[in-house]
Amino acid sequence: MRSAYVSNSRMLSTLHPLTKTVMVVLLILAAYLIPWLWWPITLFALIVVLAFASGVGRSFLRTIVLGMLPIVISVFLIQGLLFPPADATPFTFGPLTLTYEGLALAFSVSTRLLLFTSAVLLLLRTTHPADLVYALTQRGLPHSTGYILLVSLQIFPEMVARATAILEAQRSRGLDTQGWRRVLALLPLTGPLVVGALADVEERAMALESRAYMVRGPKTSLRQLHDTAAQRWVRLLMIVAIVALIVWRLSLFVSTFL
Amino acid sequence: MNPIVELSALTFRHTLARKPALNNLSVSIPAGQICGVIGRTGAGKSTLTALCAGFIPQFYAGKLSGTAIVDGQDVLARPVAELVRHVGLVSSNPFSQISGACFTVFEEVGFGLENIGVPRDEILERVEWALQALQLSELRDRSPYELSGGQQQRMVIAATLAMRPPVLVLDEPTAQLDPQTIEHLAELLRDLARQGTTILFAEHRLEWTASLAERILVLDRGELILDGPPDTVLNDPLLREREIGWPRPAYLADRARAIELWPAQRPLPITLDGLLDGFRAVPPDAKRAPAASSSAAEPTAPTPPTPPATGTPIVSLDGVRFSYPSGVEALRGVSLAFGAGERVALLGRNGAGKSTLVRHLNGLLQPSAGTVLVQQQDTRRTTVARCARHVGIVFQDVRNQLFARTVRDELRFGPRNLGYNARKIEELVEMALQRLQLVDVADLHPYDLSPAQRRLTAIAAVLAMDVDLLVLDEPTAGLDNPSIALLEQLGRDLVAQGKSVVVVSHDLDFCFEALDRVVLMRDGQVILDRAWNAMAAPDYALLEETVGLPVQLQAALALEDTAPPELRQLLLQRDTLM
Repeated sequence: MRSAYVSNSRMLSTLHPLTKTVMVVLLILAAYLIPWLWWPITLFALIVVLAFASGVGRSFLRTIVLGMLPIVISVFLIQGLLFPPADATPFTFGPLTLTYEGLALAFSVSTRLLLFTSAVLLLLRTTHPADLVYALTQRGLPHSTGYILLVSLQIFPEMVARATAILEAQRSRGLDTQGWRRVLALLPLTGPLVVGALADVEERAMALESRAYMVRGPKTSLRQLHDTAAQRWVRLLMIVAIVALIVWRLSLFVSTFL
Repeated sequence: MNPIVELSALTFRHTLARKPALNNLSVSIPAGQICGVIGRTGAGKSTLTALCAGFIPQFYAGKLSGTAIVDGQDVLARPVAELVRHVGLVSSNPFSQISGACFTVFEEVGFGLENIGVPRDEILERVEWALQALQLSELRDRSPYELSGGQQQRMVIAATLAMRPPVLVLDEPTAQLDPQTIEHLAELLRDLARQGTTILFAEHRLEWTASLAERILVLDRGELILDGPPDTVLNDPLLREREIGWPRPAYLADRARAIELWPAQRPLPITLDGLLDGFRAVPPDAKRAPAASSSAAEPTAPTPPTPPATGTPIVSLDGVRFSYPSGVEALRGVSLAFGAGERVALLGRNGAGKSTLVRHLNGLLQPSAGTVLVQQQDTRRTTVARCARHVGIVFQDVRNQLFARTVRDELRFGPRNLGYNARKIEELVEMALQRLQLVDVADLHPYDLSPAQRRLTAIAAVLAMDVDLLVLDEPTAGLDNPSIALLEQLGRDLVAQGKSVVVVSHDLDFCFEALDRVVLMRDGQVILDRAWNAMAAPDYALLEETVGLPVQLQAALALEDTAPPELRQLLLQRDTLM
């Protein structure tokens, strides 16, 4: 699992990363700021349609179901059961009673969470991380921050590989990792991992320096992003919508105090 | 011609070191020259390469004096990032030179060019060229981290070449490469030099150095002790005296001279071609008639033949198949046995299945089909920890193994895991320290040792477990001749004790000199399993097309029809040349 990105050239995958990023922000804000109960789930349905249209529907749904189901269930149980009883449902579990308010809140919390995760996942599934970072650095994200983002995307599989190699080396020296003895194995396993990671930091600095990473002056990018006038207009409209949403919501909020 | 590299009175002492790593070195190298630097570990070779590319003083603290001008730049005063257009450094550990910012080999090779703002079309062109030059085109879309060590090394060389530095500095470029790739790299470097690139490289492989360099610098304890063309430097008695050693052809000719098969006045050859020319020039006299039509393959066995494996094998594999979750079938029906008192070379190209096979020897991996028995125990019915009593594996990357505060503690870890009592543990640790000459550094932190001593520590740590079968993965990488001689001695000692050793290596000369039996793998199968002494012409051919041949066999085969029996015997004699 190097990154969530699935390479293809359909629908969303062909859009400029910023277009998708702005869209994701708009979707999330809409879900959280518009108080209609069914709104987030409606937007979620839209995202699922987009995912299938972009050819990543199946893997997208699998990740969402596997990742979100346990959270949704626990939100329903906690909110539904622990909400102060105002209008209790007929369902009781011993001393605990499900409440309508609790269920409504659970529904609202979990659908918003669902929308948030699925919007971000859709972005990552249809955008190469390097393209995303490149688009952001073009818009002023510092070069070094961009690098940290890219490295953290790569570091996980790399650490897993290193950890496996360490485990193999120490088990070959008779280290028993079965059962309770696993606790004793902490030092021989983490020691090389930490020392290796520290050494990596210094070596990484040398590697970057030898590729002139921090040199000032014009840079070239091998990645090419395709932007279109239409996308620029759409982005502008979405940004206007985002601002409008925030202003509208703020005015609602302020008016409650007046 | 104006020198492109001009070092004068260069001295550098690392902050905590007592002696300077490099002492009063003055060298000037003209443009387009290929200059090889040799010397034992710790002689100052890496320091010299780091200095030439500006990595010292930028990344290493210490006391520095003298001047270093490379391609008109004062490399001691300017940051590395600004020097990259003038000098490129490929260090000995490729893994540490990967940027981490790139998702594919293609991008990684082009990364430096992006950073100095080379136009896109030119980047694409240069990257294509570099990928092709290092035979990486097929791997272009792979992640840099998914490559093998040798592939990473090639990628880092490609990335440095793509910057087109007029001066290219390489520190042990062959450490991770197989013989075919090494040959190809020499060809590439010669090409670059013809086009004007100046090349400075530090190396332990003297045969490769002899075939490539136009000039040799010999360092010993930070001092330049010899400087001159290879054919007068590489056979200088001083090299032998200082334990740096000669290229193997020089040793062979030296031995031949002792029995009058090499003219007393003829200088010792440093390359295989020089050796063959010399032997061909010796007039065959009546007494030393050319060998009859028999093949050079006929076992002459000057060393005692491998004792036949008796009793039950330490490890036996029967019809072993193994598939990774990805579906790749890495082993396709391997049947083998490793008996007591054997010294085995496990050979094969990258991806042949050697690493997978090794991981079956102590149950780290279990066969998808077939069985592996370790001292009669099926690995599927026991644990790795129990197998570790009989089979010890030292993997290539010792960083994954070492964790203790001192070398001695590191060595105690294995025997302690096996549950030995304190007295036995101390006995075993002392024995291992002595055998690998680590007694003097036993109380130091493993990370304060030189890379070579660190590798020896990793080997000693498994040796101290007193296993029946010791498995070493690329043990000679980065070791100088005296350390390699230690390993050869270790093999002999183990066999004398009735223990066995299996070595996975690209170093064919080491395998020929120090090991008796060859197991050759290709595509997940064993395609040859025979003692060196029992090999015949078809076996040599198979070896040659798969992994290549050791220098001695190359010479023996080339002289097949003309060599007198004494010479053939000398060429096929397997022992330490040094």
